[in-house]
Amino acid sequence: MNYFLSFLILAEIFSIAALSTNLLIGVIGIFSVAQAAIMGVGAYTAALLMMAGVPFPLALLAAVLTCAAINVLSSLPSLRLAGDYFIITSFGTQLVATAVFINWQDLTGGATGLMGIPIAEIAGYSFASSQQFALLVTVILIIVATSFWLLMRSPHGKLLHAIRLNEIAAVAAGRKVLRAKVGVAAVSGAYAGVAGALYATYISFIDPVSFDIHVSVLLVTMLVVGGARTLAGSIIGPFLLLAIPQLLALVDIPSTVVGPVRQLFYGVILIAFMLWRPQGIAGRKL
Amino acid sequence: MLYLQLFIDGVVSGCAIGLVSVSFSYFYATTGTFHVAHAGIYTFSAYFAWWLVGVGVPFFGALALAVALGGVAGYLTQRLLYERLARNTASPLVMMIASIGLLTVLQNVVAILFTPNIVQFDLTWRLSHLSLGGISLSYPQALILVSSLVIVTALILFSRHSALGKRIRAVTSNPDLAEITRLAPKQVFAIVLAISSAIVAVPGVLIGVDQALQPYTSLLVLLTAVIAMIAGGIGSLRGAFCMSILLAVVQSMSVAFMPGRWSVAAVFGIFIVFILFRPEGLFRSRFSRAF
Amino acid sequence: MRKFIVTAFSALLAFSASAIAQPKEVLLGALLPLTGPAAPIGIEEQQGVQFAIDQINARGGINGVPVKILFDDSQGKPDQAVLAFNRMIDLNGVPALLTAFSSISLAIAPLATRREVLVVNPAAQTDKLENASPFLVNTIPLVRQEASVLAKYAIEHVGKKAAIIYENAAAGIDGSTDFRKYFQEAGGEIIAEEPVEFGQTNYRSTLLKIAAAKPDFVYIAITQSHEAMADQVGQIPDFPTGIGNTFSRPFFGHASTEGWYQTAIQSGYPDEATVAAFKKQFNAEDMGFFAREYFNSTNIILKAAKKVIADGGDITGPALRDAVLAIRTFESPVADVTFESNTASRPVEILQYKGKERVIVETARSAD
Repeated sequence: MNYFLSFLILAEIFSIAALSTNLLIGVIGIFSVAQAAIMGVGAYTAALLMMAGVPFPLALLAAVLTCAAINVLSSLPSLRLAGDYFIITSFGTQLVATAVFINWQDLTGGATGLMGIPIAEIAGYSFASSQQFALLVTVILIIVATSFWLLMRSPHGKLLHAIRLNEIAAVAAGRKVLRAKVGVAAVSGAYAGVAGALYATYISFIDPVSFDIHVSVLLVTMLVVGGARTLAGSIIGPFLLLAIPQLLALVDIPSTVVGPVRQLFYGVILIAFMLWRPQGIAGRKL
Repeated sequence: MLYLQLFIDGVVSGCAIGLVSVSFSYFYATTGTFHVAHAGIYTFSAYFAWWLVGVGVPFFGALALAVALGGVAGYLTQRLLYERLARNTASPLVMMIASIGLLTVLQNVVAILFTPNIVQFDLTWRLSHLSLGGISLSYPQALILVSSLVIVTALILFSRHSALGKRIRAVTSNPDLAEITRLAPKQVFAIVLAISSAIVAVPGVLIGVDQALQPYTSLLVLLTAVIAMIAGGIGSLRGAFCMSILLAVVQSMSVAFMPGRWSVAAVFGIFIVFILFRPEGLFRSRFSRAF
Repeated sequence: MRKFIVTAFSALLAFSASAIAQPKEVLLGALLPLTGPAAPIGIEEQQGVQFAIDQINARGGINGVPVKILFDDSQGKPDQAVLAFNRMIDLNGVPALLTAFSSISLAIAPLATRREVLVVNPAAQTDKLENASPFLVNTIPLVRQEASVLAKYAIEHVGKKAAIIYENAAAGIDGSTDFRKYFQEAGGEIIAEEPVEFGQTNYRSTLLKIAAAKPDFVYIAITQSHEAMADQVGQIPDFPTGIGNTFSRPFFGHASTEGWYQTAIQSGYPDEATVAAFKKQFNAEDMGFFAREYFNSTNIILKAAKKVIADGGDITGPALRDAVLAIRTFESPVADVTFESNTASRPVEILQYKGKERVIVETARSAD
C-alpha cells in the first residue's frame, strides 16, 4: 500500500512541477530547461526553514514566494527578448543553480545534501504516514490544478494565448504584455515552489542531483508527452513517465544496460512525439 | 612560467571548443535550428574511434572513419529529422525538443553499444610530450592545436571561395528566395549539417585521446561553445573561434587567481547578466522584439 | 470435554509459539544501483550478496531455515530509492536490507527509523551516515576515520606542508574537510586547496597551480578519472608526491605515481576454494572489493539472524540490529569488524606504490 502511495505522491508532486513548466513553455512560449532548479530552490528553502523549526505552512509559503521571485528573475531575459537565445540562458540558469546547490556548502550541505527534513505538520496534525501525506499532496494538487484551470478560463488566459500567437500584435493592440508575462512567470514559480517543498518534506532528504538538468529535461518530456497547455496533459505526462521505469523493471534486460535503455526510451519518445504528435496525448500544438 | 603554461593549455582547450563552436555556428547561422544533438555526435564519433582503435585499426584510420561517421550522422539527422519537422511547420521550440531527444538517444546508444564508463585510448604515443623552453605540450595537445587551425582556415576559405560555399551563403542570407531558385536549400541544409558534424568529430576524438572519453558531459562543452558563438557574433566563424580561445584562456588562467569551483557558474552567470542588460550588443537583428 | 478444549488450545498455542521461533524462511533485501552510472559497482555488489545467500542455503540455511534475497534497483537516485524501499517493505515485509551509495542510504535512513527496518551499509562512507538512523549499521569506517589515520601517518613520515585536490562531490568534500581538520590538529599546514568537478578530465590548470605552491605532498580525494590525472601529472616536472584514499587504487601502475601513497580499508580475500567458487558462479576474473564487502556484510546479517533464531525471537528489524550490536565482533578472512557503535571499527592500511607492487607501510585501526 505504501508502495502504491509513494508512487502516487511522487507522480502528483511531479504533476505540480509539470504544471509549472506548462505555464512557461506551453502557455506563454518561454522555453525552460531550468524548472527543476526552481523546484530545487523551493525544496531547499522549505527544508532549511523547517529544519530551523519554522512550521510547514509558513515554510511552504516562503518557498512559494521565493520561487515566484526567482522564476520571474530567471525568465527576465526572455521577457525582454522573444528569441531562441533564451535557450542558452535557460541552460545557464540550471547550471548556475546546480553549482550553487553544490558549492554554497554552509547553507545547502553541499553535494552530500540535507538530511533529516522534518515531517509536514499543519495545526498540530502530522502527515507522517504515506496515507496522510498522499491526502495532503492530493488536496494541494487539486488546489493548484483548479487555479491553473481558472487562469486558463479567465480573460487573462485568452490574452496569454494571443501573446503566444502574435506578441507584436498584442502589444500593438495596447495589451499589457510584459505585465501578463511577469504574472504567469510568478505563478509558474509558485507552483514549482509548492512541488519543491512537498518533495523535500516527503523524501526528507535532498541533494543537488535531485534537481539537476536531467530532472529538468524529464519535466519537459513529461509536458511534451502529456500535452502542452492543458490541465490533463500535465497530469497524464508525469504519471506515465514515472510508470515507465516500474514497467521496464518487469522486462528482462541485462541490468548493466537497463539505465541507458530507459534513457534511450525517453529520447525516442521525445523525437516520436515531436514528429508525429507535437500536441502530446492530451494537449494542443506547441 | 606557470602563467605561460596555463595560457598555452587554455589556448589548446579553446581550439577544441572553437571547433565545436565554429561547426555549431555554421549550421545554426544557416538554418536557425538550435541543434543540441551536436553534442551527441561529438560523443558518438569519439567513442566510435575508441572502439575502432580497440579492435586494431590504426589511429589516423580510426579518426578518418569517425569523421566520416559524423558526416553521415549529420546528413541523416537533417534529412530524417529536421527536414520532416520543418515540413510539418514545426516551431523552433519543437525542433529543439526533438534535438534534445536525439541527444539523449545518441548518448545512450554510446552507453549501450560501447560502454557507459569513462575510457581512455590505448595508444602509447599519447603520453609523450614536447618541451619547448620550459613549456610542455603533449602530442595530442599539439595535434589539437594544428588540426583546429587547419580546419577553421579551410572552412573559412571554403565558405568564401568555393562554389558550394557560396551557394550555402546564398541560402543563409535568404532561404525563401533560395526556395524558388535552383539553389535547393533542403539539400544545402543537409550538406551543411554533414560538414558541421564531420568537423565536430575531430575535437571529440582528440580531446578523448588527450584526456578521457565520457558519455554524458558533452552538453557542457556545447553550451560553452554556444556562448562563444553568441559573444563572437552569429555567422562569424572567425569570431566564434577567437571567442572560444579567449573564454578557455580566461577559464584556465583564472584558476591561478581564484578557486576553480565557481568557474562554470561564473561563466554562465556573467553571460546571463550580460544578456539581461545588453541584449542588443550581442544579437542579430533578425529576432523579433516586442518592446 | 472442557479438559479436551483446554488441551487442544494449549497445544495450538505451543504450535504457534514454535512456528514463531522457527520461521519458514528468512527474507532479506538489497537495494543497489543496478542501473545508471554506478551500475557496474552495483552489479558487483549484487554478486557478493547473492553468493553469500547461495552459500548458506547450500549448507542447509540458518539451522535449517532457508534464506531468500530480494534485489531492487535504486538507480542511484534518492526518490527512486524511496519508492523501492516502500516496495520491499510493503509488498514483502523485509526486516533487513543492504544498501549502497551515500545519498540513497541517507534518503532511506528516516524510513528505516520509522518502520524499524535494519539497514546495513557496506560501502558508502560519508560522515553523515554516522548518526543518520539508529537502524543504520555501517560495516565500513567512514571518511573521517580513514582521514584521521592518513593525516597522522602523513605528518610523521611525509611532510608538514600539504596541498589538497578534491572532487566537488560528497566523497571528495568529506575527504578534504576531514583531512584538513586532522592534519591541522596534528600540527600540519595546508598551503593550497583546489576542487575539481565531478566528471572533469582536464586537470592541467589545477595540477599546475598545486605544483607551483610547492607542498611536501598533495592529498587527492577524487573518485573517477584517476588515469587522466595520472597522465597529466606525468607532464609536469617535479610534481609532489600524491596521497590518496580507498578510491585511489587506479592511480597505481602509472610511471608518474611511483612512490605515491594511499589508504585502504583492509579487505582480504576469503579462502581459495570460496574465491574459486565465486569466480566460477559469476564467470568473473576476480572477487572484487565490493563483492567481498557485500559478501561479508551479508554474512554479518546472517550471523545476527542465526542468533535471533537461536534465542527464539522473531526475525524483525530491531531484533536483528540488537543481535549485531550484541555479537559485536565479526571475524572473517575478509575483515575483522568490531561494532563499538553503529559504525564498524576496522584496520586501515597505508600502501605505497613501489614499482609493480603496492607495499603495506603501516596498518592502523580506525577509531573515533
